[in-house]
Amino acid sequence: MASTRKGALFSAEQGRQAGIRDFIGRALGEGGFDAVLMPARLSTGDSFTYLLINDESVLERAFALPPIMPVQGAKAVSSIRGLARDGAAIAAFLRPCEARAAVELSKLGQVDLQNLTLVTLDCPGVLPLAEYLESPTKGDEIFQDGARNWNSEPMRRVCQTCDRFSATGAEDLHIGTLGQKDEDFLLIPQSPKGEGLLDALGISTEADISGWEKEVYDLAQERKATKSQAQDELEARVQGTDNLLRLLSNCINCRNCMRVCPICYCRQCHFDSEKTRFGFEDYLARAQAQGGLRLPADTVLFHIGRMLHMSLSCVSCGACQDACPMDIPVAELFGLVGDANQGAFNYVPGRSRDEPIPLATFEQEEFEEVEQSHAGTSAT
Amino acid sequence: MPKVLKLDKAAEDGLRDVLTTLLETGKVAGVFTLARIGQEGEVAFSLISDPELLKDAVPLFPLMPVNAGKVLSQITLVEPDAEPVAVVLRPCALRALTELMKRKQGSLDNFVFISLTCPGVYPLELAAQGAIGERIPQYWDAIKKGDIPAEVRPACASCEHFVPYNADMTVAIVGNTSMDTECEIALNTKKAEEVAEGIEGQFVEGETETEAIEALLGKRQGRKEELLDEIGGEGFEFDTVFAKCIGCRACSKVCPICYCELCFFDSPANEHDASHYEAELAKMGWAQAVPDPIFYHLVRLFHVSVSCVGCGLCADVCPSGIPLSAIASKVSGAVQKAFDYVPGKDIDEGLPITTFVPEEFAGIK
Repeated sequence: MASTRKGALFSAEQGRQAGIRDFIGRALGEGGFDAVLMPARLSTGDSFTYLLINDESVLERAFALPPIMPVQGAKAVSSIRGLARDGAAIAAFLRPCEARAAVELSKLGQVDLQNLTLVTLDCPGVLPLAEYLESPTKGDEIFQDGARNWNSEPMRRVCQTCDRFSATGAEDLHIGTLGQKDEDFLLIPQSPKGEGLLDALGISTEADISGWEKEVYDLAQERKATKSQAQDELEARVQGTDNLLRLLSNCINCRNCMRVCPICYCRQCHFDSEKTRFGFEDYLARAQAQGGLRLPADTVLFHIGRMLHMSLSCVSCGACQDACPMDIPVAELFGLVGDANQGAFNYVPGRSRDEPIPLATFEQEEFEEVEQSHAGTSAT
Repeated sequence: MPKVLKLDKAAEDGLRDVLTTLLETGKVAGVFTLARIGQEGEVAFSLISDPELLKDAVPLFPLMPVNAGKVLSQITLVEPDAEPVAVVLRPCALRALTELMKRKQGSLDNFVFISLTCPGVYPLELAAQGAIGERIPQYWDAIKKGDIPAEVRPACASCEHFVPYNADMTVAIVGNTSMDTECEIALNTKKAEEVAEGIEGQFVEGETETEAIEALLGKRQGRKEELLDEIGGEGFEFDTVFAKCIGCRACSKVCPICYCELCFFDSPANEHDASHYEAELAKMGWAQAVPDPIFYHLVRLFHVSVSCVGCGLCADVCPSGIPLSAIASKVSGAVQKAFDYVPGKDIDEGLPITTFVPEEFAGIK
């Protein structure tokens, strides 16, 4: 665990959020970047959105770690891609799962990281969206309390079992807070671009970060154990077609899980296209073949198809579950399937910008045991 | 005066018997109805062709998982139904289907429409919690007393169109105090009389239950005023009420009137290039990074308001709890009144935006 890496220790008397705002203000003022993309409190005060800011006076609305995830940050990064592509230097302040999704989207051609400085923060999790919106004031208190003590109990279930709550490995700069005093934070450069930014601002990285590294490691181990237990329980509940059908039985086909998913970027989903629409006689024939047909048809097929498409890049951000009107534990299901698929390819979405998505690579010798079990079953 | 089919059974049991007979005698090839699909009481729409499976049908279950009008439009869009199918749907779903037909979104040629005087449904949230079953006794009790059942969705509690238009058969619910022992189904059309022929039961000359309907209408109108006051009071501003929208588009996805395959707001036309952000940043020092929800909601209201049937699904699915249905009710109420148009009432009446009246809105001109 001995580390030679260093960071810069910041101590902000006005609190950590204010300290982060000061740092951003300084970077904007001194040309470290042209604009910052980050969460900000709505003027109504009851929720948050993503803003692009280039005026220091607007920064007071900015809020690096809001208590909820109303929009997955990678989607915000993707929506400003026109600007990023045009050459403006933008720093995006994201939660680790949002940054990881942004890296996956860059591999899918939806985000241009060239002119972007990715900044991540240690993330204590977020509260369930609906719960927070019922009483934002109370939610702010609950979140602050949980975040200060790294108590994940009030956070969403996927956050409670998240073991990738810290630096992703693919960002330019990471803000470490775990184990630090309330008002302190560490600026840890993660790439030459991040080092260059701190250099340009005259911030020297002399602070020892091994204490923070140990805290991150320990909590990750703890979370891994929690996750493994939760996934074992869920797996027992969803294994087999009947159980999967049962878990998804309340699905009303609203597609909200897909709409808010950062990885589901298709403008039009296959399952909403005319390819999945049939004549009435086809529906009747299907009903007659089994006595009855649930309508809308193929809800479970949609979820299976979606899992096939996104599970290798699923970062378990939990936005899907926040948006499900039927409270189906979709994020937990997608996380379970995602982890299994990612594990099979030894792939961690968003940990590296250069690591290609497994489906886009070809290995001559791979999964022989799968091939073997199907050998001789083909028609020839 | 319509003919009424009377069965000595509770309303839902009688209706299930009628559906079973229609299927068994081959008068219909299938029945579209709510049915229990899960072991924990989950309910969804199903197209049933095996009479045996109709025992799981719960045609009057107080839940609207999807707007049935939208589903029926989608499954008849490519190719219409060739064989007759009985469909049980709520008045607002039938109205939505009628509006969709005016937009050429499917066909209703061979459907036998069975609707009901509708007491309303519970929010999806209660279905998600599996908490509707335990409320069923109090639901029917309230209806027998002529009350609005507690906890039904605000859209239902304030709905004035609970007597169906264009239904072939109407199951009498509102004002039917003996629905535990008697099922009364009004046969409104020739088609209904034809398919009902031979069903075991009494055929009597019916009286439309007007008093109870009038009384309930009064209560609903009261609720509607309250609801509109709540959202329309001082301080109501579009930009504050829609601000916490997360842009998920669930409201559009479940809306029966939003039938576009690709919404304008999901199209390339709604994506900004660098110059847009540069201009905003220069002007204000900030720019909205995610697509603006306010513009989306205003345009959606603009598109659907003339045909909005107030089915309430938009509010039911909103993860941010925005009172979308009440807002739609306020806006569409005004628009529909201006054109003296009741969506889904008369299939031959053209949509106001597709009809031209030379002398109209002189005041505005």
